[in-house]
Amino acid sequence: MSEDMRRNTGSEMKGAVNKGEKDGASLLGLSLKGLKRDLRANDVRALFVALALAVAASTMIGFFLDRLDRGLTRQAGQLVGGDIKLEQSKPFDEDLRRQFEDAGLILADQVDLVSMASRDDSFQPASLKVVDEAYPLYGKVLVDMGEGVEEVARGPSPGNAWIAPRLAQLLNIEIGESFQLGQMQLTVSGLIEREPDQSAGFGSFNPRLMMHIDDLDATGLVRPGSRIEYELLAKGPPEAVARVEDLLAQLEQQGVEVEDVREDRPQLGNALERAEKYLSLAGLAAVLLAGVAVAMATRRYVDRHLDTAALLRCFGASQRQLTQLFALQLLWLALSASVIGALLGLAGQAGLLALLMRFLPLELPPPGILPLLLGILTALAVLVGFAGPTLLRLKQVSALKVLRRELDPLPASAWLVVGVASLVFGGLLWLYSGDFMLSLGLLLGGLVALVLLWALGWLLLGLVLRMAGRFGNGASGGAQALRLGARQLARRRQASLGQLLAFAVTFAAMAIITLVRGDLLTTWQAQLPEDTPNYFAINIQPGERQGFIDILGDAADTRSALYPMVRGRIVAINGQSPQEVVPAESRGDNALRRELNLTWQDEVPEGNRILEGQWFAQDVATSSGNDQPVPISMESGLAGRFEISLGDTLTFSIGGSDVTGEITSLREVDWDSFRPNFYVVFPPETLERFGHSYITAFHVADGSNVPGKLVSAFPGVSLINVEVILGRVRELLSQVTRAVEFVLAFVLLAGVSVLYAALTASHTLRTHESGLLRVFGAGDRLISRVQGVEFALLGFTSGLMGALLAEAAAAGVYIGWLELAPRVHWLMWLILPVGGALLIGLIGHALSRGVRRQTPMASLGLLGEA
Amino acid sequence: MSNSQTREMSAILHAKGLGKQVISGERRLDILRSLDLEVFPGESVAILGSSGAGKSTLLGLLAGLDVPTSGELDLFGQSLKKLDEDGRAGLRAGRVGFVFQNFQLLPTLTALENVLLPLELLPGSDHQIRGREWLTRVGLGERMDHLPKQLSGGEQQRVAVARAFVTGPELVFADEPTGNLDRGTGGKVIDLLFELNREAGTTLVLVTHDHHLARRCDRCLKLDAGHLTVLDRDEVEV
Repeated sequence: MSEDMRRNTGSEMKGAVNKGEKDGASLLGLSLKGLKRDLRANDVRALFVALALAVAASTMIGFFLDRLDRGLTRQAGQLVGGDIKLEQSKPFDEDLRRQFEDAGLILADQVDLVSMASRDDSFQPASLKVVDEAYPLYGKVLVDMGEGVEEVARGPSPGNAWIAPRLAQLLNIEIGESFQLGQMQLTVSGLIEREPDQSAGFGSFNPRLMMHIDDLDATGLVRPGSRIEYELLAKGPPEAVARVEDLLAQLEQQGVEVEDVREDRPQLGNALERAEKYLSLAGLAAVLLAGVAVAMATRRYVDRHLDTAALLRCFGASQRQLTQLFALQLLWLALSASVIGALLGLAGQAGLLALLMRFLPLELPPPGILPLLLGILTALAVLVGFAGPTLLRLKQVSALKVLRRELDPLPASAWLVVGVASLVFGGLLWLYSGDFMLSLGLLLGGLVALVLLWALGWLLLGLVLRMAGRFGNGASGGAQALRLGARQLARRRQASLGQLLAFAVTFAAMAIITLVRGDLLTTWQAQLPEDTPNYFAINIQPGERQGFIDILGDAADTRSALYPMVRGRIVAINGQSPQEVVPAESRGDNALRRELNLTWQDEVPEGNRILEGQWFAQDVATSSGNDQPVPISMESGLAGRFEISLGDTLTFSIGGSDVTGEITSLREVDWDSFRPNFYVVFPPETLERFGHSYITAFHVADGSNVPGKLVSAFPGVSLINVEVILGRVRELLSQVTRAVEFVLAFVLLAGVSVLYAALTASHTLRTHESGLLRVFGAGDRLISRVQGVEFALLGFTSGLMGALLAEAAAAGVYIGWLELAPRVHWLMWLILPVGGALLIGLIGHALSRGVRRQTPMASLGLLGEA
Repeated sequence: MSNSQTREMSAILHAKGLGKQVISGERRLDILRSLDLEVFPGESVAILGSSGAGKSTLLGLLAGLDVPTSGELDLFGQSLKKLDEDGRAGLRAGRVGFVFQNFQLLPTLTALENVLLPLELLPGSDHQIRGREWLTRVGLGERMDHLPKQLSGGEQQRVAVARAFVTGPELVFADEPTGNLDRGTGGKVIDLLFELNREAGTTLVLVTHDHHLARRCDRCLKLDAGHLTVLDRDEVEV
């Protein structure tokens, strides 16, 4: 604050104090005037930017997730397709239907399966939705039946199909033309724009084909072992749903998958759900960085206002009035920053939405007010938490400081500052994640990392100081600048440490995101050699097996064995209900909710590895007739999730009868191999008495006519083109990645605000230093170089620390979350320090240009006396 | 050293017609008007003036920390007019020492590190030794690793004095060196300043409003209304 500003504040405060404390309005006015003048100061600008970023990050994520959540809740019935959804692999019987209808519910039948649609030489996998007259129970279908897109509350009539525009394009077919599905010809009578009950995720990557349920038998697609899901959807008033509650529980016991919209929020796809989690954490990271920036800027703000506070004390202001005055000023600042931040957040969430809209299954309601309030709360919490303890210094100023300048109140203890900030941030973590243990874990982990980094930074700065002495004693520009810059950085140890940590954390956050993304993609690609199967064939009937092999024969570059496949549901573990045996977190596991694909083999399937136990002995064969459990081999990951091991028994319900197996070996399975993989393998012949089909995977060159031949020879066999699915997966991943990068940009901006605040905080000191150096005879060029060296060293060292932090965190993420083997990222160890040196060197150098431009007289404050 | 002796040598500092004008709002303010001054090697010169007379501005100009609006200034026989900011800084390096009213110590540096600062701009391998020597000479041998805030005002100014002499300068500028100190402490610092000045044979230009202090210099000048006038020792009232 300049002299005249200080004088103005003084006379105004005198007025306010004289009128007495009753006159709160004048304090209000005074705080506003003070803030207006203060807006010229860099630290106040830094505070403003940091707070606005914190609000922008939190509201952006908040608005987005809130809209998603409310959309899902509001349209739950529509998304599921009814108030209740039952699912199993065989048709539902009449008796059950009657019970539901008696309770007052309206029913709709639906069948889901994947099959191949073909026309002339082109053939495409499609995701079939077979519906009846009652479809849809909720909402309407947007369909183009040749006269523009219209909303209708029905599905296609028998003999017709409605298909996704993408499928029409792939099959090169138009409305009115027909195509082959299994053994039947269907006519395209509509193109589907949107289904009310469109599910999201990997399952729906094949384009949609909707047809009438009366045509299903004629296609010949329903065969033993086919992967078909029968769904029974029910709609009715809450009291009707309540009447069947017991029945639903019974059905669930019997292994029917039950979804009740009153309890189960519809699930988003895996990738989207991960993105959701990731986004909230990234938002919090931005808030944390903004908090660090706020803490740094506050130090300078307080230093700058100590004189003002002392003057006001002189004029008779009480400690309380001082606290109120500065608190009010900062409150205005936080509120105005919130407005700007919220506007940015609104724009940001629209951006996020634009990126992810295509993968979201629903129309979202407009942004609500809650995230806005939460954003303002975040700004205030950040201000209180990260600035509070430092601000209290202002109130402790002694009036005597006016006479004796050295009478500064003690700076706030670093432990107090970190402690209060951690508490507040922990609270925010809890508020946003809703998970107390996770918040506590993250907070404690973060604090431990902070202490370790602090110690490491301390050592590194000591090393820099020692090295500085060895940069030669010559007066040559380079060596001298290096020596002086290194010394200045290392000697200002406390301030440098703060900056070092802030930058290291920022760099690490950026690096982790990049690493994880890069590694996910490259690991995936690397695991897929050239001849990785690009086709799966399912539903091959026993009678078709030999014919299929004959056609495929030598035409395929590689093919896996043909695995027999039977579908069965786990109904008991060690004779008890699975829900009672498995750990709580595994109760919702898909392996319990759905039917599993079971196979039998006499040898360990290719690509599998026995971890524990023994593969089946040759003579084990067929004891399935009696009650003795048969030996089974189990996938190790599932066994781990269920906490079962060798010797435990599993009972499967297959085609209405129960089969019990005892685990005699645990296998490791490479799930990313794009070969048929199985959770449970039985010995040969044990399951042959059940209806089964075969599955295989093969690779043929692009443009090969083999798939075409197979489709026409075996219309009931479903060929699935893996590349198409992979392409969709990649597309989704890249969109999610873009969304993540979008949020990362905010984290980056918060990082830059830290840099800005740090520079602001050390501005006085730097001005003083360079002023003195100039007085002692250092030229502009030398000072410029010294500052460049100092910032570059700061960037280099924080880059090193950031690399270490990122490496450790990435290893944690890989082992704990992504199940990838951790590895050292050598390139990062080069890029972060060098990039950090360049980035901080350049930005810091540019931002301190003003310092260098001042004459030494001005830098040293010698102009006070003319 | 007598005046007649010094005049036989060439001046270390020579100002001719020096003026400084600042613009304050719409008003032009002449702080210094056409001012002449010669300072010769080895002498000590006091510039007296009341508060606001422009003493510090003059000192800043003489040391090349600021540029005059008009007039000529030679330092060590070189015209400052032809030098830019860097050139002027280069001229000062190692040859000019400073003692400021408010000490100007860097708060994050220890006493020793503060003293080493001007040395670090110069070549040499004995900086540490010289820094320690000078701190010991000013009586702070035991407090080398203390930060400024751990030292009293007098001690801080003694660090500043050590810093001013550590490079072995030809010319030392002192701006109200006792302004922030009580009389007793100030007296001790001044004793030290003059003692070191005499031992090293340094030229001293001292700006002050303290007549006691001014009387200890070889010559006294008075700055009034932008002009310098010579004061006889007797005219310096105590």
